Formats: sequence, structure tokens, C-alpha cells
Amino acid sequence: MSIQDDIKAAIAKALQDIPCVIGWGAGPEPLRATPLFMRNAADVENFTAGFLAVNNPALYLPSCKGVKTALVVKGCDARSVGQLVAENLVKRDELYLIGYPCSGVIDVDKVAARLEGKCEPGEVTRLREENEDVILDTPGGEVRLAKKDIAADKCARCRYPNAESADVFIGEKRAPVVDQDEYADLADFEKLSLEERKAFWEKELSRCIRCYACRNACPLCVCRDHCVASSREPHWLTQADGVRDKLFFQLIHATHLAGRCTGCGECERACPVGIPVLTLKRAFSRQVEDMFGYMAGIDVNTTPPLLTFRLEEPEIKEREW
Amino acid sequence: MSVLNTKELRIIGFLCNWCSYGGADTAGVGRFTQPTDLRVVRVPCSGRINPLFILKSLLGGADGVLVSGCHPRDCHYAEGNFYARRRLELLKGFLPVLGIDPRRFEYTWVSASEGQRWQHVVEAFTAQIHGLGPARGWPEAPELEILNAVAR
Amino acid sequence: MVMNTDTAQKFVSFEALPAFLAKLAAGATLYAPRRENKAVVYRPWQAGDKVELSLRPTESCKHVVFPRSEELFSFDMGGDPEKPGKAGLTLQEASEPGPAVVFAALSCDARGFLAFDPVYDGCGTGGKAKDTYYLKRREKTTLIVRTCKSSLNTCFCTWVGGSPASSEGADALLTEINGGYLLEAVTDKGASLLASLPAASDEQSAASRAAREQAVQSAPQPPQDMIKAPAALGALFDSAAFWEKQSAHCIYCGACTYLCPTCYCFNITDESNGLKGLRMRSWDNCMSPLFTLETSGHNPRQEKANRLKNRVGHKFSYYPKIHSGRFSCCGCGRCIKSCPSSVDIRKIVLDAIKEAANV
Repeated sequence: MSIQDDIKAAIAKALQDIPCVIGWGAGPEPLRATPLFMRNAADVENFTAGFLAVNNPALYLPSCKGVKTALVVKGCDARSVGQLVAENLVKRDELYLIGYPCSGVIDVDKVAARLEGKCEPGEVTRLREENEDVILDTPGGEVRLAKKDIAADKCARCRYPNAESADVFIGEKRAPVVDQDEYADLADFEKLSLEERKAFWEKELSRCIRCYACRNACPLCVCRDHCVASSREPHWLTQADGVRDKLFFQLIHATHLAGRCTGCGECERACPVGIPVLTLKRAFSRQVEDMFGYMAGIDVNTTPPLLTFRLEEPEIKEREW
Repeated sequence: MSVLNTKELRIIGFLCNWCSYGGADTAGVGRFTQPTDLRVVRVPCSGRINPLFILKSLLGGADGVLVSGCHPRDCHYAEGNFYARRRLELLKGFLPVLGIDPRRFEYTWVSASEGQRWQHVVEAFTAQIHGLGPARGWPEAPELEILNAVAR
Repeated sequence: MVMNTDTAQKFVSFEALPAFLAKLAAGATLYAPRRENKAVVYRPWQAGDKVELSLRPTESCKHVVFPRSEELFSFDMGGDPEKPGKAGLTLQEASEPGPAVVFAALSCDARGFLAFDPVYDGCGTGGKAKDTYYLKRREKTTLIVRTCKSSLNTCFCTWVGGSPASSEGADALLTEINGGYLLEAVTDKGASLLASLPAASDEQSAASRAAREQAVQSAPQPPQDMIKAPAALGALFDSAAFWEKQSAHCIYCGACTYLCPTCYCFNITDESNGLKGLRMRSWDNCMSPLFTLETSGHNPRQEKANRLKNRVGHKFSYYPKIHSGRFSCCGCGRCIKSCPSSVDIRKIVLDAIKEAANV
């Protein structure tokens, strides 16, 4: 039996006493799966894990409060769950986690870049996985791509490919891709001068359509329906189509995620116009890691750093006056 | 008139009610002259200061933001400034990501009795901001120009 | 005003395109698709900009006519802030919009405006309640639409009466042929923009016809029973189970509505500072719980299932019922392609038709 079948068996078993298992099923086109809410055996037949299992199912947990829910989770999804549990936003005993070894997920934008000049990703009619490659049927014939070339950025810096907190783990655990996240993405960004960085955000944010997909795709953005960005009193944001308001919204998101973001990257993936909003959260995460030695979503028993303090903070070098 | 004898810049100060606001008062009572660039907003505690206050000020055109609270272990509410210290330190480290010079934002501790220290903090911070010059603004939707015209 | 297209076929070579665009940009704000990072967006064109024609635009061009935010008027309370009783209110109308041209819009984008038009032209009020802000911009905008060369997995214009080579709603139609583009005027407004171009040869006209026919043939076949959609969705209005199932994975962001060429809902707010300010309208979307939140605190669409029902129902049932069967959807598929959780509106409509048949 393949891992896929073993996971299906575990889902079927879970459904005996849990009403709903959230995983992934076939999406509207070959390159994309969609979150799947499984309630019966027929639903389980549509389950698919693996390279297309992009969406983070932890997103749906706060709305499942009070009802025991099972999730199929990748390592990064499990971190989101862990952070929700650490903050007491969901109850661990209301959850059942089915883990499997994740070897990375697709980034459709990277496929687009590889298909440049041939066709759009939306013209791919079939995707087949073959070990470390995928084979795409395109109008111009088959295109073979290495998974590592079209996997999401986060997968290249994955320290937790296995959902360590899972109640049941299907398959053999994988070794971490890296032992240490060097934040190389930020190093590239930081080659820019202050002026260039400001210009960078002005240009990128000017595309923002204020759909707030970044917020709604974020598993840690739990106030969703009561977001301060939508409040008229206090009036944090105007309704105008200006960069200042659009950037300020991102700062609301990023500051609220400081010390909480697990880097799942769903905000950036959800952005329909490709604004690199994860960079803002990663900048906070690196500082939190350096300053407080804290990584969100790993240990549910550690208090997140901004919810606590120490009388003396050896890592904070206050400035003399 | 600015003691620096140049055009006044816009500096926002968020001061806690119990220590730093009192310190500023003490400086006033003691007639310690200070630059006039600072506009003070009084808040109950440095722990009340949402980092978004500072970001909103900086994006909205402030040239500098100063936060001042009770010295650690002296917080009127026992621990508000401890939480503030973590948040504000993270925020200061974050500003360069936006292309904002981190020296445009400082936080410090001034007690109600430290009138002279308050004078020194204001002078030093104002000089620092004048050294940096006026901040470059962030583009706003054109129709909102009318609001900015009022603000200036 | 539709004119005889045979007399108005023009040709512009790839090399001559920048000069033609410069000419268009001289008399109006010229919007053209441009690549920015991973997205393709309609931006004001400037000399030297590359027009992105190999990837389909991520967003629609509706913001040219229906800006994401626009001033309705500005106000000044006047008087003395110290004496609130002594106000001398003055209002200032928003400035007139200038002319705009959209180059290489998709045919579905142009058809999208046809869903807007009756709504803003006073339908239901006998033409009395006209939205002049919209109508002025619409009047001053010229749409040059391009023939699609292929269909994407998410395309379904043929389901809703469109076609990849449709010129409906367009002022001129652009078709890529050997060596350049054939441009044909559809309206007088379009014809006047093309006036300076050389006439196309007979071979070029034939090549364009062939390209358009080929585009139409490559388009997906529509399902037989789309006509049943309005009644089916009406029949399922009270079927909570159906809508809960369909909306389970929806994250109710506004990506679908804001990318949609036919979503026309807006919000009106005052943005003020002291005694001066402006009244503006900005895009709003029915996926947000705030869209229907009432002052009392009651929200008739608190559940996302109800909101998704409204979005699909509006496009495929309520709107066609009062607009002679026309769907408020142009089948561009952006809501499917850019949905973070891959909600597929086609599937919802087909499932509804199937489900209603069983009821």
C-alpha cells in the first residue's frame, strides 16, 4: 500500500468517531488541489496528499471550536496547530492530527516561470509525479520539471518536515532539509539600501487590491471577522486606494504575527497579485529567534515571548542617554 | 521656536502618565529649556503603547517618535513597561525592513523626578532627528491630499 | 454604435506598436497589461513599457471605469472649530475624469462592463437614478479588446454567452496575426482611435478571421443546462446543507470579487481630518461579514455559507432574473484561478443544477 492509501485508511478510521477530517482533494486544475472536508467514505476517496497539498488546514480550526476535528497535516501545518494550542486558541484534546512525511509542496508561480514562453500554468492539462520529478502535459508537449525547482521557498528551508505532534504518523520520518534557517531570503532583501527598500514596498504595495486574502489565509489571524483594519472607530485605515493604507494594513498583520508566525507562507501564496508579504513576518521571526530563542509552533508549553518578560533582558541592549 | 535654530520637525512623544509625563512636568516647573519639536501624547502606561501607534505616526509623516515610560521595576502597574520593552525593541529592529532609519524611533525611561534627564532626552533625540532631516513621506491616494493639507 | 467592420480593418506591425501606443497615450490615459513581479496588472502605459500579452492579466480592467476608491465630493465645515454652531458648510464636486483607453483587454473584461451598465444606468428606476460617476468614466473609456489565443483550465466565457474572440462590449478588436496585429473597429469611438493606421490587406483580414475561428474552436464547450441555473439556485435558497458543503473551504477573502470584471458593489465613507474631508466610494465585497452588518448588530449573512450563496446566486440567479437572462458573470475564471483555496464557481453552479433536479 502507498502512503496515500495508508493515510486514507487512517482518515477512515478517524471518521468512526470524529465527524470531519480536513485534508486535500483534487482542485479545479491539474496544478492545484483544494482543501477537502471529509465526512464519509466517498469523500475519503477524493483525498490526495503530497506535492499538491499546499493549503494549510490549520486555518479552519478556530471555526471548528467545540467540535472534535481531525486534520491531515504537513510539518508546517502542525506548527500552526501548535501555535494555536500554545495560545489556547484551540484545544488540543478537540483535535486529532494525522501526520505524514512531507517532501515539499508546489509553488505554481515557479511552474509559471519554468513554462515562460511555452504556455501559462493554466494550460497544463495533466500532472504526473515520477519520483523527484513532475511531468506536465502542455499544449506544446510534455515538460519534465524537478520538484525541487518548483517547490515553495519554505520547503528549501524546512526544519520540520514531519508533524512531530501528530496523534498518528503515517510513513517514515524524513530528515530535516536544513538544520538551521539562515534567513537567506532576508539577506538578499537587505542588500538594498533604506531608500531602495522603501521604494520596493511602495512599488509592490501599489498593486494591492485590499482583498485581505493574506489575512484570511493566515491560520494565526484568528480575529478575522473583527479585524482592527475594518474598524471605523478607531480609524486605523481609510478606504482610499493608497500605498500608505495598504502598507499599514501589512504592518497590522506583521506586528500581530510577531512571535507567533510559523512561516507557513500562506499569506504570500494567497496574494493574488504576488506581493512578497511574508518578508515582513520573516523579519520579525528572525528577531524573535535571535532575541528570545523562540520559534513559534514548536513547543506548546512555552509562553510566546511577547506574552511574557524577564526582569533583566540580556539580549536587549538598551541605548544610553 | 526651536533651540536648534532650524526649521521645526515633527516629533511625536508617547509618555506614560505616571513617570515620564511627570518628568516632563518637572522639567517645565524647573524651567529647563527644551526644543519645541516634540508633541506629547499622554498614555496610561508604556505597556499601553501599541507598536502600531509608532508605525502610524511614522507612515503619517512624523520625522521621529519617542516613547518614554517608568524605569524597569518602577512601573505603576508593576509590569507594563516590561512587556513594552520587548515590543518596542522588536519594533526598532523591524523599521529598517521598511526602509525607515531606526534612529527615527527611540524608547527610554524617565521618572517623574528626573526633570533634568527629561531635558537631556528631548535635546538629544531632537538633535538626532535634525541630524537625519525630514522623513520622506509615503504616497497617499491622491484624493486624500485634502486631509494632508489640513494636517500641515 | 456598431459600424460596418469590413471597412475598418487596420494593421499594426510589432515594430510599429510602440508608436501606435504613444499616439493613444497622447490623447488619453492609456492602460495596458504590465508584468509586475508574479502578477499582470493594467497600469497607465508610458513610453518604453512592455505590454504583457503572453500571460493573461491577473486582475480585470474594471478599475479604469470603477476605481478602487474615488472621491464623490469634498467638504469643508468652515466656521470656527471653537464655535461649532457657526458652521459654513461648503461642498466641492470631484473633478471630471479624463479620457482613458484600455489596450489589449480580454474579451471577457469588456463583456464584464455589460453587467455593470444597466445597474448604474438606472435600471429599476426608469432611468432616473443614474450613477453619473460611473457613466462619465464609462463614456470616456475606449476598450481595445484582444482575441485570446487559447483557453485556460479556468476559462468558461462560453458558458455565459461569451467567446474568446467576442467583440461584445468592445470598441475595437485586436487579433495577433503574422508580423503584427489586425485591429478592427467595432464602434465609432474605436474607429477614431484606429484612423491613423494603415488598412489591412485581404490576406491579413483572412488571417485574422482564421485566428478568431481557431480561438472559438479551442474554447471549452458549455454545459447544456446553464439555462436552468437561475431556477436551480432559487430552489436551493433555503438549502443550508448544500451551501455549507460548497463553502466549507472558502476563506471569505475578497480576492474573487475584487478580481471579478462584473462585481460592482461599493461602500461609501467619509474620510475627514478636522473640519475638512471627503466623501468617497470604494470597492466592497459580499464575502466580508461587514458587508451586511447592520447598525443594530444584526447580520443577515453572518455565516460564510450565506455569503457565498449570495455571490453565486447574484451572478447566476437574481441578476439574470431581472436582466433578461444575462448572467452577471463573464466567465473569465479569475475567481477560480486566484482563489487561495480553489473554490470553483462552475462546480457550485453545476452541483446546484444537479441538486435542484433531485429536489
